[in-house]
Amino acid sequence: MSDCQGLGDCDDARMQRIYEYLDGALTHDDIAEIKDHLDGCPECFEQYDLECVIRVMVKRSCTEAAPENLKNSILDRIHSSNPVEA
Amino acid sequence: MILVKDAQPEADPAKLWTMALQDRTNPAVPAVRVTRRKVTVDLDAMSTMDPAVAAMHEAAGNGATPVKSPVAGPAGAPPEPAAEAGAAPEPGAPATDAQEAAARETIVDGQALDVATETTEERRVRFERDAMQYVDQLYSAAMRMARNPADAEDLVQEAYTKAFSAFHQYKPGTNLKAWLYRILTNTYINLYRKRQREPLQSNSDTIEDWQLARAESHTSSGLRSAEAEALDHLPDSDVKRALQDIPEEFRLAVYFADVEGFAYKEISDIMNTPIGTVMSRLHRGRKMLRDMLADYAAERGFKAADATAAAGSNKQENRK
Repeated sequence: MSDCQGLGDCDDARMQRIYEYLDGALTHDDIAEIKDHLDGCPECFEQYDLECVIRVMVKRSCTEAAPENLKNSILDRIHSSNPVEA
Repeated sequence: MILVKDAQPEADPAKLWTMALQDRTNPAVPAVRVTRRKVTVDLDAMSTMDPAVAAMHEAAGNGATPVKSPVAGPAGAPPEPAAEAGAAPEPGAPATDAQEAAARETIVDGQALDVATETTEERRVRFERDAMQYVDQLYSAAMRMARNPADAEDLVQEAYTKAFSAFHQYKPGTNLKAWLYRILTNTYINLYRKRQREPLQSNSDTIEDWQLARAESHTSSGLRSAEAEALDHLPDSDVKRALQDIPEEFRLAVYFADVEGFAYKEISDIMNTPIGTVMSRLHRGRKMLRDMLADYAAERGFKAADATAAAGSNKQENRK
């Protein structure tokens, strides 16, 4: 259980606020409020920071280049097919 | 606070995309632009594309620079959110005439594009120019779906073929990448899932209790910044493995949000599920992911305690 209840009265609530904050799903007022809180609360900031680290890791790990032959075979298929005429 | 409405599954897809456009042009949905000295990540880069990732794309030769779609993802949206704070219209306010016009036609080489009279060849050129730049991204997503390179390739190829034959239905000016993702997701469901036309259905009810219990124990023991350091040392293969082990609907929601930066509304369109479902999948999926990564870090000996000791001896003073 978190000691700080500044972002919510339980861990789930706190994380939900942090997710919404990072997801850009909040109003300006909410964003300012959360930012202020994170600035002054090491406990919540660490949760926020960890989430940032994970997102960067996921993004880094899951970005693969398609095999070059895939692009060519897509182009081949497109050139040999006739799309529906509108 | 969510400022967008739930998707209406029975609605005409074209209408859905117009709705999506309207929602995303609403300045009341702000971008998160946090510039904190303490933060170690560049949120701007995160929400669009990591420069290193962009470099990879360029190296791959597909010219996929991190294009911001007209209906940008969460942190892409209005450039100056603060400046517009006072003028936020009601959610769902009608798009302006200019936006409507942009949704109807795209200017190509100085000429207005009329999709209805476009020739097959013109459409092919437009498709290659606009859609082919997302092959890498769709392939990455397909890897999260099919989980092996051969199936991922088939999936992307099939999705692109379908997208091309349906390209006359795509509304220029709306979010092409999200449109392609939706086709990819549907193709996956139809080709690999064999669950007929059912939307990606939640297995949430069958999630093992141990997964949630473990989530609780991790959270309550508190993952501190030493943990963040430990996680940061995990190899990419561990991150992929962790994602693969998360049930599909959670995995894809997390992928769409955290890798592609799609907004909740866009994810709900892509996955054909209500926004509330998207949010709960994200919440639980992220929690599971965090847990598994913590487990892997522990297996690899990057325990929080070790990392703390290392950090302590390293003058890298941990906050609390």
